[in-house]
Amino acid sequence: MMRRQLILTPEPISQSVMAGPCAENKSCGALLSFVGIVRSLEGDQVIEGIDYEAYQAMAKHQFQLLFNEMEQRWPIESVRLIHRLGRVVVGQASLWVELLAPHRQEAFEALGWLIDTMKQKVPIWKHPIPRPETATTAPRAAIEQDGETQCDDPSTIS
Amino acid sequence: MRVQVHFFSYFRDLAACSQCSLNLEKGTNLEQALVEIHAKFPNLKAMKKSTLVAVDMEYVSRDHLLCEGNDIALFPPVQGG
Repeated sequence: MMRRQLILTPEPISQSVMAGPCAENKSCGALLSFVGIVRSLEGDQVIEGIDYEAYQAMAKHQFQLLFNEMEQRWPIESVRLIHRLGRVVVGQASLWVELLAPHRQEAFEALGWLIDTMKQKVPIWKHPIPRPETATTAPRAAIEQDGETQCDDPSTIS
Repeated sequence: MRVQVHFFSYFRDLAACSQCSLNLEKGTNLEQALVEIHAKFPNLKAMKKSTLVAVDMEYVSRDHLLCEGNDIALFPPVQGG
C-alpha cells in the first residue's frame, strides 16, 4: 500500500518539511522531489505573487483519486504533496511533491503524470497579484479569453 | 428537487454570488440544469466552452441525472502548481 501525505495549506512550505526524513524502505532506490516556485512573470505581466484559491474538499478528493491511479500504474512506495493556498510571493514554493520508488524511471514517469494531471483535474486556481507600478492588466483578464479557450473535459481524461 | 450550485474563481464574480439553490424537475440531467443556471446567470453563458462542472466533487458527463441534494460546482479551467 502506497503511503500518502497530502497537505493544502496557507503556510509556507518549510525547508524542514522538504528535508524531513522520507519513509524508510530499503527496497527503494529512487527518491524524487519537485518544487514549483512562483515566477516574477505570469504571461507578460510582472507580478509580486499569486493568490491560490481552491475548492478544498474537491481538491483533496481529486488528489486522492490521482494517487489511487498512480498507485495502480507505477510501483510508488510513498507520495508526499504540499500545495500552498492563499498569497504566495514570487520566489516562494507553491508546490512540493516527493515520490519514493524502487527505480528512477517509474518515479520520473509518475511525477510527470501526477503534476500534468493535477493541472487538469484538481480545482485550484491562480490569481496573479500585479506589481503596483506595472499593473496595466486586469488580474482576471482570463475572463475575456473564453472565445478562444477550449478546455479538455476532465471527465474524459485518463 | 433542490440542488445547490457553487461558483469558484472568477465565475463567482461573474455570477455575483458564491452559491445558490435551484429547484429542478425530478429526472433533470446536468445539461438541462446548466441551461437553467445560464438563464439565471447570463454572464456565465459566455464562458460555456471553458466551463468545468462537477457534481458532488466528481467530474461527470452532461447527461448525468441529478438527485435531490446534489452539489453542482461550476468553475473555469484549473491552474494548480
